[in-house]
Amino acid sequence: MFSDLSAQKEGSSLLCRPASEDQGPVFERMSLAYSPCSEHYRVGERSFSRQYAHIYAARLMQMRPLLTERAQQKWGSDVLIRKLCDLQTGEQCCIVGTLFKRMELQPSILREISEEHNLMPQPARVKYISESDELILEDELQRIKLDGKIDRDKCVTGSVIAVYGAERNDGKFTVEDFCTADLPLQSARPALSSDRFVLLASGLGLGSIHADSMLGLQLLVDMVTGQLGDQGEQSGAATISRVLLAGNLLSQNTQDKDATSKPKYLTKKTQAGSVEAIRLLDELLLQLVASVPVDVMPGQYDPTNYTIPQQPLHRCMFPLSAVYPTLKLASNPYQANIDGVRFLGTSGQNVCDIQRYSSMDSHLEILEETLRLRHLAPTAPDTLGCYPFYQKDPFILEECPHVYFSGNAPTFESKLIKGANGQEVLLVTIPDFSSTQTACLVNLRTLECEPVSFSAFSADDDEESEMNISH
Amino acid sequence: MTTKHRLITDSFKVVKKARRGGKREKRSTPPPPQKEAETDTVRQEELQKLRQFDLDWRFGPCTGISRLQRWERAQLHGLNPPEEIRELLLKTHIDPEYKLSLWSEYPL
Repeated sequence: MFSDLSAQKEGSSLLCRPASEDQGPVFERMSLAYSPCSEHYRVGERSFSRQYAHIYAARLMQMRPLLTERAQQKWGSDVLIRKLCDLQTGEQCCIVGTLFKRMELQPSILREISEEHNLMPQPARVKYISESDELILEDELQRIKLDGKIDRDKCVTGSVIAVYGAERNDGKFTVEDFCTADLPLQSARPALSSDRFVLLASGLGLGSIHADSMLGLQLLVDMVTGQLGDQGEQSGAATISRVLLAGNLLSQNTQDKDATSKPKYLTKKTQAGSVEAIRLLDELLLQLVASVPVDVMPGQYDPTNYTIPQQPLHRCMFPLSAVYPTLKLASNPYQANIDGVRFLGTSGQNVCDIQRYSSMDSHLEILEETLRLRHLAPTAPDTLGCYPFYQKDPFILEECPHVYFSGNAPTFESKLIKGANGQEVLLVTIPDFSSTQTACLVNLRTLECEPVSFSAFSADDDEESEMNISH
Repeated sequence: MTTKHRLITDSFKVVKKARRGGKREKRSTPPPPQKEAETDTVRQEELQKLRQFDLDWRFGPCTGISRLQRWERAQLHGLNPPEEIRELLLKTHIDPEYKLSLWSEYPL
């Protein structure tokens, strides 16, 4: 692990005379084979004239063969797979379809319009699930209400599943069992000879009102660039061969909503909050890219398009660091092969959205669930903004990643899961740096992951000091 | 009282002219009656086929995309759309009536 590599050894080089007059040892950073595979997250033509019916149709077209196969594996090859239009009451069969959860509390644009009728707008909530929710399964032509052994609160709209059961006389379908598409096949991971690390960080939160994360951030940069600690630690830093910043580089505060509501003459001379923050980011990136390759993914609050897939930030925003070939501006979702290890992940919008619309709370649990559903963002386009694709649903996983991550989580969590066909996937939720001062390091050789914290105080201390302030 | 003798067409001469022009056009078109009718029925048959393709639910929704795009999507997902439709579409891809779906004239 990284902590063993960089642990202070006895007779630290910091406490003795410098060995010679010149610079001292040079630790060569390992450079890795890198190939981005995010092509299908690039949106070429941007036509918004289409409806979202296409993405659901394409999703079902793509998933139906996969789920048919899975259903036959699970319930025997002679299982009766029916379309909803051929369904007979009381007959045991299997149906493949897209889930829809009808939710009373789901914010709706039509209800927002009803503000005109002087109704109170619905307050924002943490969760939108309620007791009155109903699960409905849709195929190409019809829909049916689901009942029985399926956890209503855990399911989310847009996931394609296969259910097994029978239709009752009252028109509801009683589910006895269901299955998801599960993990896709995985290509083999090459055996690496030495430990090498990829640093994952997210939620730098530049431009926030309280700049409390700046010290931690500078320590992070210094650690990666090898300007921290003694020779042992510096040689450890040289094994960090890539840095991945998973979104929300800017703070939410930079998104000034005042400008839209205030009259023009008041906001004429004010500068957008994000301008200063981007300049700060450019300077920070400059320090990093001079020493290590960096991938920058945009997130929810970053200046790029809002709908997923978010396109890479524009180079012209980084006049200092963009000249380095080591700066890679990537899309969100991100996919790349780093030394044969396939990374796939998002800046966390998909996970946060599922958290709001299901009973699941842990980001790690949701991450695993999306992998089992074989879909990065099932709630897009229902509750998560999404480009209206028509040909293919790019969020369906075609190949199983080795490292599957999501950014901007409240805490660091990681877990190694194993699939039925020998797949091995490391799930990582990258914590929000501005609130946790924590990044994480993934070992490409062993697929282990550990957090690196730059906070001088433990989480408990922070809570205490916050309490004191409020008194 | 002189006003009574004026006809209403005196003040709306433009309309009358336009009408005359229309009549003239009609007079000049008739020459190839049979051939036109033949190509017209062929065209109607082809369009009918394309409309049937639009209404085939197996290939997904048809609004907002061109017929060829829809055909290609169906092919991509292994749904075996009829080859004849593709040939027809490639042959006549400039004509918007062939290119766009049945509902293309309706607002979304």
